[in-house]
Amino acid sequence: MHFDPVANMQLLVSGLAFGSIYALVALGFVLIYNAVGVVNFAQGEFVMFPSYIAVTFLLPAITVFGTVVHWQLPIVGVYLLVLVLMVGFGLLFNRIAYHPLRDRGWMPVVISTIGVSIFLRNAAQMIWGSQPIVMPSLFAVDTISVGPLHIRPQDLLIIGVTAVLIAFQFFLFERTTLGKQMRATAQDRATARLVGVRVGRIVAITFVYSALLGTISGLLVAPLFTVTKEMGALIALKAFAASIVGGFGSIPGAIVGGLAIGVIETFGGFYISSAYVDAIAFIILISVLLVRPQGLFGERVAEKA
Amino acid sequence: MRLDRKNFLATTGAVAAGAAIGFPAIVGAAPEPIRLGTIPCLTGSNALLGQQEHEGAALAVEEINARPDKVYGGRPFEIVEEDATNDNQSAVSALNKLLGENVVAIVCPVLSTQVQAMAPVMKTHEIPWMTGGTAVKNTQLGVPGMFRLRGSDGITGAGMTNFAVKDKKGKKIAILHASDAFGVGGADQIVQSLKKLGMEPVANEQYPKDAKDFTAEILKIKQAAPDVVLMYIQNPSDTAIILKQVHSLALNVPIVGSPSLGNQTAMEVAGKDAYGTYCAVDFIVGFNSNVATHFLTSFFRKYHHLPDVGTGSGWVYDAVYMLADTYKKQKGTDPKQTIASLKGIKNWDGVLGTFSADAEGNMVHSVSIGQNQDGKLHLVKKVSG
Repeated sequence: MHFDPVANMQLLVSGLAFGSIYALVALGFVLIYNAVGVVNFAQGEFVMFPSYIAVTFLLPAITVFGTVVHWQLPIVGVYLLVLVLMVGFGLLFNRIAYHPLRDRGWMPVVISTIGVSIFLRNAAQMIWGSQPIVMPSLFAVDTISVGPLHIRPQDLLIIGVTAVLIAFQFFLFERTTLGKQMRATAQDRATARLVGVRVGRIVAITFVYSALLGTISGLLVAPLFTVTKEMGALIALKAFAASIVGGFGSIPGAIVGGLAIGVIETFGGFYISSAYVDAIAFIILISVLLVRPQGLFGERVAEKA
Repeated sequence: MRLDRKNFLATTGAVAAGAAIGFPAIVGAAPEPIRLGTIPCLTGSNALLGQQEHEGAALAVEEINARPDKVYGGRPFEIVEEDATNDNQSAVSALNKLLGENVVAIVCPVLSTQVQAMAPVMKTHEIPWMTGGTAVKNTQLGVPGMFRLRGSDGITGAGMTNFAVKDKKGKKIAILHASDAFGVGGADQIVQSLKKLGMEPVANEQYPKDAKDFTAEILKIKQAAPDVVLMYIQNPSDTAIILKQVHSLALNVPIVGSPSLGNQTAMEVAGKDAYGTYCAVDFIVGFNSNVATHFLTSFFRKYHHLPDVGTGSGWVYDAVYMLADTYKKQKGTDPKQTIASLKGIKNWDGVLGTFSADAEGNMVHSVSIGQNQDGKLHLVKKVSG
């Protein structure tokens, strides 16, 4: 196969776009893990459920509970509405899935998140049915062509929004009191409580923040994926792998891991074999863990241990 | 009344006597239903296909039960449904559960990979197995009583290839297919058909299960500079996403696809990205019999949406009606007798066309090539196996 710079550029953009989504969802995993010490297996449903809510309000006609509804609200308004609703969802998730079980060890909480994940997927099928649904994009055109290069504006939007969110994340954690309280809670909840941090509130905020990251991922990727009840699970699986490659618990690790998996699977599919692209990604994952069991950026986890 | 030994004996004696003289006539007023097993994928990523199968079966049963001329011995049909979900293991578990439910025939899931996984269990039970799975191998598994109610991948693959080479004058053919049994089996049929024409594909790309980004596969095909691309994919959602990406990556050559390209859902989801594409399908609206017209009308009246006739609801509807006709004709539901009757089916009119059983249990021997013109499928030609 000959080297084709145009194809490589397209692969890079596509890989970075999907990697960005993995990174955002991986961040959600890591933030909750740092705050409460458990993996949230409903993270994928934080991507799927808001996407369904968005299409419900966006489309001229959609079947909900077997009845056709016609909302068709403006797209930006719908995005804001969904974000507000997902703040409530994050709080509710914290209150129902985590809070009652917080003193019973990690296992009941993990099982609780798995239960919520299954419930939300079944609920989505019951409410919206099994048909894949197309979410409208912000853009009037599907593709921008620059000479032989064909780029989807949605890919560029995903990369851009992710970059902004990552910058915001670093500002939040490094420059604000809230961010410092979140970091303090992540490092040692008991000590954080002793110095006056309201740990329960910080945990609730972390769940909300994580739900919002999932929501933004869903709104960004749905125009490319179509909305189905499985869409979140597929992303979450890769995002979970990404957070392990990066070093579970590490925020830079989640970002780098997500981007790396996105780019590797796209280039691996092109240069090696698309049939074995998942195997390639997981061979890399295992190789990284053999060399660095704590992941690429895993020092903070080691310190915690 | 106190229930002592004397009262107990008197009561049970009276009940026994009543049962012996009169009750059976009263109880027997409700004839025993004919229990028909179905195993659609009701949950998981193929739930759409499962829902379509469920709808086809439910409509057929509702209609048959309302028509005394269709019901054998006044016995209504009753569907016993188990969820095959999305994996082979679940399909086998569902099958085992169903076999304990006293069913007289089973409508299998449409996914060939699940049909093949269920085969070892199916071989041990001599009842009619009605399948819509199109992998050639499905009717060669040594399962007694296996009947296929759709055109096999052999017919579809050969039809697609001949159309691409002879009608579209393709000299460089590329293949894109799913990595499941359906996709791999279909791609193999295309490769074999190309070989018969003295050709080889310039690219043969498969994508992994649950993939959502097809950039790598499409760019590899683009690099091979084909003049026609043949797609063999089962999942309507995958089909729609691939067509969108083919369009956005400017792979501007004729696309000829397997039946999923003509699937109603795939056409709706892909929208204008599917315009101009060709597909080999079991069914095209407007080019069929009175049976098909009746099915379309009844389906829309019941469900308020158009059916995915070929891959989804039509073949299941046909399967239930074919069984009902067979029971009525042979005056019984004995599974072995039914298998023998089904093997003798000739020129039976169903939604998907005229059915005649061959030695392997294939009932359909032709497919149509259609073209998506502004969201509607138009007949281009019929191809036979």
